Order: sequence, then structure tokens, then C-alpha cells
Amino acid sequence: MMLARVAENLYWMARNLERAENTARLINSTTHVLLDLPLGASFGWANLAEIAGLDDLFAQNYPEANEESIMRFLIQDERNPSSIFSCVKYARENTRTLREVLPAEMWERINSLYLYVRQNAQAACGNRRERYMVLNEIIQQRHAIVGLFSGTMPHDEVYQLIKLGRNIERADMTTRILDLHSAISFPEDSVVRESLTERVWMSTLESLSAYQTYRRLASMHVRSSDAVRFLLQDMRFPRSVSHCLSEMESSFRLLPKSQQLQQLTALLRLKIAQHATADLDAVALHEYLDLLQKQLGEIHNALLQNYFHAWRDSAPQVDRLQGEIEFAQQ
Amino acid sequence: MELARDEYATHTAHDELLDRALNPRAAAQPLFDYLNSLHDGELAKRQQAVDATIMAMGITFTVYSEAGNIDRVWPFDPIPRVMGRREWESIQAGLKQRLRALNLFINDLYNEQQIIKDGVFPAEVLEGSGNFRPQCVGITPRFGVWAHICGTDLVRDKDGTVYVLEDNLRVPSGVSYMLENRQVMKRIFPEVFRTTNILPVDDYPAQLYQMLASLSPRDGEQPVIVVLTPGIYNSAYFEHSYLAQQMGAFLVEGSDMVVGADDIVYMNTITGLQRVDVIYRRIDDAFLDPEVFNPDSVLGTPGLMRAWRKGNVGIANAPGAGVADDKVVYAFVPEIIRYYLNEDPILANVPSYLCMIEEQREYVLANLDKLVVKPANESGGYGMLIGPRATQEERDKFAELIRNDPRNYMAQPTLEISTAPTLVDGKLAPRHLDLRPFVLQSDKLYATTGGLTRVAMRKGSLVVNSSQGGGSKDTWIVEDAA
Repeated sequence: MMLARVAENLYWMARNLERAENTARLINSTTHVLLDLPLGASFGWANLAEIAGLDDLFAQNYPEANEESIMRFLIQDERNPSSIFSCVKYARENTRTLREVLPAEMWERINSLYLYVRQNAQAACGNRRERYMVLNEIIQQRHAIVGLFSGTMPHDEVYQLIKLGRNIERADMTTRILDLHSAISFPEDSVVRESLTERVWMSTLESLSAYQTYRRLASMHVRSSDAVRFLLQDMRFPRSVSHCLSEMESSFRLLPKSQQLQQLTALLRLKIAQHATADLDAVALHEYLDLLQKQLGEIHNALLQNYFHAWRDSAPQVDRLQGEIEFAQQ
Repeated sequence: MELARDEYATHTAHDELLDRALNPRAAAQPLFDYLNSLHDGELAKRQQAVDATIMAMGITFTVYSEAGNIDRVWPFDPIPRVMGRREWESIQAGLKQRLRALNLFINDLYNEQQIIKDGVFPAEVLEGSGNFRPQCVGITPRFGVWAHICGTDLVRDKDGTVYVLEDNLRVPSGVSYMLENRQVMKRIFPEVFRTTNILPVDDYPAQLYQMLASLSPRDGEQPVIVVLTPGIYNSAYFEHSYLAQQMGAFLVEGSDMVVGADDIVYMNTITGLQRVDVIYRRIDDAFLDPEVFNPDSVLGTPGLMRAWRKGNVGIANAPGAGVADDKVVYAFVPEIIRYYLNEDPILANVPSYLCMIEEQREYVLANLDKLVVKPANESGGYGMLIGPRATQEERDKFAELIRNDPRNYMAQPTLEISTAPTLVDGKLAPRHLDLRPFVLQSDKLYATTGGLTRVAMRKGSLVVNSSQGGGSKDTWIVEDAA
């Protein structure tokens, strides 16, 4: 038996931590790309906020999109609930209400991550070298937290809710990092263009710690279609969208009254497996990734209704969920 | 171990561990033998270990400030307060006697009011009570018990007499620090637990659980017990979370529960509504149920009182129990004990002057420089006047307050409360302290072994409240020498 509020806090704690880590990864990937940009190519800073799904909020708060303002917005700005600092701060607040269900060290770990981000966020907004170091440290501290989960927590409902939050957020962020291409305007020259495309994909894979694995498991050549297939469909790689969905399915199986959620997740995974990734141009890829983000959002909403808000009003949601499944089957 | 001899030279209070000649008292002898066996600097090293341990265990309390809410580390002194078992057992008997009488008194006030009819307790005191809840009239909770958990503050005066300072019957806090202090001591002084027979304190969570379970309206089933907290911004949130964890209870906020049209309390779980049997509430009456008390409260759950009155849920402490947690009612407790139990009080009350009685008020006003004046319904050491240390201006202000609302004030002579050696700058210096044991009552009575010793860390200070710079010590009840 678990309180709905506790379940919701666990889920959000995990999502917030995962989002902080992946935002750090997205920024690192961007910085890599920037260093490689040849003459004639340019990077659209406004597009980066759009990739993160935050373009409106950014435009409300900043007059101009440039490296400095985007970095401040994504790393430090408390007005942005998805900035790294905000995510870590919320995760810490979530954890404060969860001490009675989490291992004692968890609070300490998350608290020290919070203190680190608070102290170093400013420096990370400025020069690129510092940024890379600080963001890597954040990623490493986050690894220690995940290690603590997997090394000390019983595989009960608490564990499953954390796993769900982590994987849905990770799947969503992988689709966003994949979308980095849409932020670059490529030069006309086809030779330069081709080599740049390859370098952008290398950076993308590297930012997800996927480059070596990709070369070992997928292809020695970095090609758009293979990279997309790998990050969306390869079940062996833990940051691929399909892997995340499969992790979610296994968590749902261990939670009560989850049959429809299991189905919804399995169907999305099936659809991804059947969707051809070859010949997707930048526009088609961007649209496809958008669609995936929306469908992950549907799973999120269904989960919210099923577990956290079930007591408020459960009957109408069952119908809606059924509708989603029919839609997905078409 | 070096004593701060200059401070002890001018010291006149009773010291818990040292006699007048500054030799260890019998109960404290093994402790001093141990302390003297430590190398120079060893104690300082252990003190640092204490701080690190407390930080790592995350034992904190929350302080409200303009810069947001800060989790402050609980200040802890590594020198324990030691008491012999024989003395403690007599105090324990006195605590149980007191709570038994107070519960009979509360139940009488909400029902026949026989004690008023018999002229032992004045009706005007009840009329002026801020904590009497008319909504509770006519109810007799299970076992006739209203205050299931009581934190009683004890102090020792110069002549060695132990006095009850107040009975905290609303939402007494501090027991988690008592338990954690012992854990910390075991980590940093493991040796001394081998050589001294220190009675354990760690059965409290189990006793609390049993007491709460006995209030369940569904006999024979495993009860669902919840700890109701106002949330993370409450100063005692750490304790709420700690006790829930220790008991395996659910830590809930008011919005986690609903009361159905069937007058049954439910909590919202991931599988839907689940019945709640017993609520250990850590929020004040006023916020408990917006249907009945403060309608603006968002901390409580609408309908709790309906469910409780129907007997569908146990609430500890019962709503309205605070009527006996009042500094004016306090003055009547010895009479209350004689009236209901026909026994003499085992524990002494501090002599008290009630400002509502004219001649006592005149005495108080004429002697403000010698007395401590307390408002009836405050806790946490707020709103007090310590006469001998106050300025003339402060005393004049209090004289005015007393004249305007005499029922709300009582006064007591300034006690010279006892001290114990406390580690200050590498030496053992006398610091004033009190003791808060916790007493439980349902179908049976239980008192903790010792309690929470709170110590005023500043030289000469008498204020031990954590919200005002107090710290704490582990409290050892030890076997007396044969």
C-alpha cells in the first residue's frame, strides 16, 4: 500500500534528476557541435530552447537568444522549472518528503548534489571549459545516486515508481537530444555538409555515452539513419527509447492495476520498432520525434490519472485510456 | 578531563554529576572513570565525530528565517546526564500518576464536570481556557483517555528537589532526539556501554505503536496507523518522518485523507482509497478539521471530527486534550491528583501564583523582579518574563499585560535549576538543563527510561528550547551500586 502523494513525489524526484542529467548531456553535446562548426554553418540558439520544449518560456524572459542567455536559462534560471538548478532543487524538495521510504544516504547524496549545483551553476553559464567540467561532475554525482538506488533499494513499489520516472524522462530526453540537428543550419557545399553531419551525429552519440557502443553494436560508420535507429530502437542500449519503454513495461507489470499502462507502453515500443528510420530527412525526423514526445506525454498522463489522481475521479479516465489504445492500434 | 574550575567556583545550583566538593556523584563515577581514561584531545576528537555523525544521520530541526527554511543541525553535547535507577523509578511513578489524574480530569471536564460541582476546580478557569473545545463535550474516547502522549518537563532546584514545570499534552515533540542521541553516543563512546549498566531507551517506538494500535476501532485486524504532519516546513518534520519510519506507519498530510459520507477516514493510495484506523496527529486542534475548527486550515482534513465522534477513527492526542495543558490549570494539578486518585502527588509542583486571584496578583505585581511570569497558553518558552533578568521597562510592560488579562498569567519563583558538566572550549563547564520524559497512556501506562535532556548552551542561560539556542544530551539511567 502506498500513498498517492508519496508515489507522485517519487516519480517526480526521479524525473527531475534524470532531466537535470540529460539537460547537462544536451548542453555538452551542443558545446561539442559548436566547436566543430565550419564557416558557412550556424547554430540557432532559439532552436535549442525549442528542442527542450521551452521556447515560449524562454521568449517570455529573454529578449535575445544567444549562447549566454540560453545557457543561463537552461542551467541556472529558477524561472525555468526545467533548468538544471530547478530540477535538482525540486528533486531535493521531493526527497525531503520521502525520507521514511528511502535509504538514509539518499537525502545526503541529493542534498550534496543540490549544494554543488547551487555553488557552481554560475560558473557553468560562462566559459565553455568550466561548463564542461561542472556538467560532467553533475552527471557523475547523478550516477552515484542511481548506483545507490540499484545497490541498496528493495525492488518494491517505491523502486518501480523511481524506475518509471527515470525511464520515461530518459526516453523523452533522448528524443530531444536526437533533435539537435534541427538547430543547425547546414552550409550549401555538399562535402562540408556531409562531414559536418557526421560530426554532429558523433557529438550526439557521445553526449549520450553511446558512441563506442554504437560502433561496436551498430556500425563503424556514423550515419544518420543508423544513429537514429540505434537511439530509438536498439533494445541493448540503456538510453534508447525502446529500452526505456521496455523498462517501464517491466515496472508496470510489478505495480497494481496497470494492464492498460502496460499495453500502451508495449504498443508504442512496437510502433517504434516498425517505423523505418532510413531516408528520414531533417524535417521528417523532427516531426517524428515530436510525435514520440507527444505519445510519451500520453503515457505520462495515463500514469498520473491511474496512480496519483485515481482517488479524485477514476471512471472517465478509463474510457480515455481505452481510446488511446485504439488509436495506437490503428 | 579538566573542569572549568573558575565557573564551578562561583556555582550555586545543584549539579547533576558533581557534588559540592566537585567529586562525581555515585551514579556518575563510572562515567568520570571513563572520561579520565581518555587521552588529552581525545574528547575533542570525539566531539568532532559527534558533529560529523549528526550531520551524516541528518538529524535536524527546521528554523524559519527570511532566507528560507533552514535545516539546522541539532546541537548535541557528548557528556551525558546520569541518574540512578532508584531515583528514576520514583519519578516514573510520579509521571504515570500525574497523567492518569489529568486524563480523568479532562474526561470529567467534557462530561459531568463533577470537579467543578464539588468546588475543587473553579468554573472561571475553565471559562477562560483557550484550549477547551466545546465541540468535544459529551464524548468519552476509548479507555476514557484523551492525552495519550504527554511530554512532562522536569527541573531540579538548588535543594535537589525535582519539580514538574509543565505538562505538554498537545503535540509534545523531542522524543526522536532522545532516541537519536543514544544512537550517536553508542557510535562515539562504544566502550562505556560495556562497562556501565545503562538502561536502554529504544523500546519507545514499539510502545508508541502498541498504544496507537490499541485505539483502533477495528478489533482483530491489523490497524492502518498514520502520522499526520503539517508538512516539511514544520520545525518538527524530521521527528514526524522519523517516528513514521520507526513504527512502519504512513506519514500523511491532511490533503492525503478524505472523510467519506460514511464518516470513515480514508487515505489516497495508488490503488484508491484505504481506510485509516488511527491518526497520530502532529498538528494543533485548531487546524485539524476545517469543518469544525479553523475553516481556513489547509493542514487538516474536513470531517475528521465527525469520524472521531462516531468512533470510526482513533486520534492521539484526542482533540480537546490541550485543556489540561495550560499554566493556570497546572497550578491545580496537585489538587486534581488528590481529588481523582485519592493519593498524594509523588512529584512536586513549582509553587504558583495565579493572577486571576486578586491577592496573588497583588503579590505578583509587587514582586515582578523576583518571579517568572508565564502566559497560560503559550509553549516553547515564548512570551515569558524572567523577572530578575528583565529591565524595569519590560517589567512595567508585563504589569500592564497582567492587569488587562489576569486569567492569562501565572507566576512562579525563579528556580535555580540544576546544571551538568557540558563540553565548552575543551573544558567541562556547568550548564543549566531540564528533562522531558514522555508518558504514554491507553489501556496501560508507560514512561520512557529517562527522557530528553535539554541544555542551555550559553553560560548562565536558562532557556533550553531548541528554537532559542538550546542543545541536548543523552540521558542515562544507570543501575545503582549495590
